[in-house]
Amino acid sequence: MATAREYHVGGRRVGWRGAGVPRRGRRLGADAVAGYLFVAPLLLLIGLFIYWPLVYSAYLSLYDWNLVSPDWRFVGASNYTRLPDDPRFRTAFGQTVLYVAALVPIKVLLPLALAHLLWPIRRSRAQDAYRVLLFTPSVVSFAVAALVWLWIFNPIQGVLNQLLLAGDGSRVNWLSNPQTAIWCVIAVSTWKALGFNLLLYLAALEAVPEEYVEAASIDGAGGWQLVRFIRWPLITPTFFFVLVTTIIFVNDEVFSAINVLTDGGPFDRTSNLIYYLYQQAFRYFQVGIASAVALLLSGAVIVLTWLQFRFVERRVHYG
Amino acid sequence: MASPVARPTPVLADGPSAARSVPLARLLGLASLHLLVIALCALTIFPLLWMVSTAFKDAREVFAPGLRLIPSAPTLANFPDAFRVFPIGWWFFNSATIAVATTLGKLAISLPAAYAFTRLDFPGRRLCFSLVVGTMIVPFVVTIIPSYIMVAKLDWLNTRQGVIVPSVAHTAFYVFLLRQYILTLPPEIFDAARIDGAGPWSILWKIVVPNIRPAIAVVTILAFLGAWNQYIWPLLVLNDLDAKTLAVGMQFFARNSDSGQLWGPMMATATLATIPPLALYALAQRQIISTFVTSGVKG
Repeated sequence: MATAREYHVGGRRVGWRGAGVPRRGRRLGADAVAGYLFVAPLLLLIGLFIYWPLVYSAYLSLYDWNLVSPDWRFVGASNYTRLPDDPRFRTAFGQTVLYVAALVPIKVLLPLALAHLLWPIRRSRAQDAYRVLLFTPSVVSFAVAALVWLWIFNPIQGVLNQLLLAGDGSRVNWLSNPQTAIWCVIAVSTWKALGFNLLLYLAALEAVPEEYVEAASIDGAGGWQLVRFIRWPLITPTFFFVLVTTIIFVNDEVFSAINVLTDGGPFDRTSNLIYYLYQQAFRYFQVGIASAVALLLSGAVIVLTWLQFRFVERRVHYG
Repeated sequence: MASPVARPTPVLADGPSAARSVPLARLLGLASLHLLVIALCALTIFPLLWMVSTAFKDAREVFAPGLRLIPSAPTLANFPDAFRVFPIGWWFFNSATIAVATTLGKLAISLPAAYAFTRLDFPGRRLCFSLVVGTMIVPFVVTIIPSYIMVAKLDWLNTRQGVIVPSVAHTAFYVFLLRQYILTLPPEIFDAARIDGAGPWSILWKIVVPNIRPAIAVVTILAFLGAWNQYIWPLLVLNDLDAKTLAVGMQFFARNSDSGQLWGPMMATATLATIPPLALYALAQRQIISTFVTSGVKG
């Protein structure tokens, strides 16, 4: 192939900008038809399984319906207004906030600190190995992870109690104790996600131009100053990306862990709004109530995303 | 260096003496850094080692107190035991077919769309693209009740397509990733193909696909991992024991009171379920990591 570049063009020569390209007219028509055909399957599927559900949820949330019966009773906004009266909703709501409050700092800051720790030994075999090991839980399914931790937390034969309480007769019922259960879910979730965010931060650090760091060092900037004034401003986009996605997805991500480890118990003390929604819809068949919660949740997520674009993005330094 | 911003000369003058005092402090610092990180790695990897270790222990040793990672008498018995209790062969088969079909489905609808969003001009393109990207902020849980009702109406409960088809719709991130990659291709190769009379369909196959192989590989890997590991949706759709996937079916070991003591077979099944994702990760970890760097995952 007589081409300087490695681009494949079906065996033809590449490299010059065609002056004689048939412009507009018939060509555009063909392009437009192809364009619509190419995006049609995607749009059809997202319409059916993402946007239509959003609209349909809004509709369902106005009715009292049990998922199977032919009777639909219009109840107006009462599925929304009666939510605060349900103590289980209040518990789930409080814990949704608790999951955010506990997991956001852990998942956002801990990998950030770790990335800075690992930075000095970049491009070494050791860092490669650490990175691979720390990322491993991210490729394992939550279902497996939770099952393994269920075994570790087991009050009688579990390795955690055996190690902590060797000789001691007392046991901690990690998962059935209302004080500890939620922290078990939080621990499993932390274990699962640590490596992923670490990877994002390391990638961001790697993208910081080495010249900036060198220039600052020549001017006498020390370790902490390099972090504070050079690296930090340049990795803030990643930081905010991690921050916002963590806030948005943290309660989704604990679903499988809750489902396997505690099923929301004991006494709903590990439940969150997502789990509440799931139980209302598929265990108590309160489709209207569940849909109302679904709508409120998407509203919250959309507002958070909008806030991110509106306020956070502007203060970020893009490298 | 006490002053934060020293002048160049003192820095140079400090050079030799600093070089002499550095090694020991630096060595100690490095050593403690490595120790800390190794401890963290050990903590991270321990649950998975413990899973594999339990899978190869005989029933008595599973319940033996203490921390014994290497079984004293390694056994394979837990694996056939697990297959005897539950239809694990079916679960494995279901997981594999669902994961492969979902991955192919996502590729099949994302690739042409990503190409159309970058190189084909049609009215409403921006709007269509916004609609696709917009799906990323619709929480998954919002879609489950209506999707479940739809799947039930289609009589797709307990079927593979009931899991696959709605899952394929959640592909916006991959469309975005592929689009970013196509944007980095030089426009000249598209012009050249045009001059040769290639239509959109042959450009997609002869130019786009061969030139974005790395991105396709990454999408394939990520989509497969996601589909293999998905939990909520198959949990809802698949109720028959034989129809379940590994991720969902495995939980019976913990739920069923009769099998409550079967930690060995349970961990054997968990180990089996972890092999495909781990193998894929082992093969492609460099590619996965570099994609995160190049696709510029920023806010």
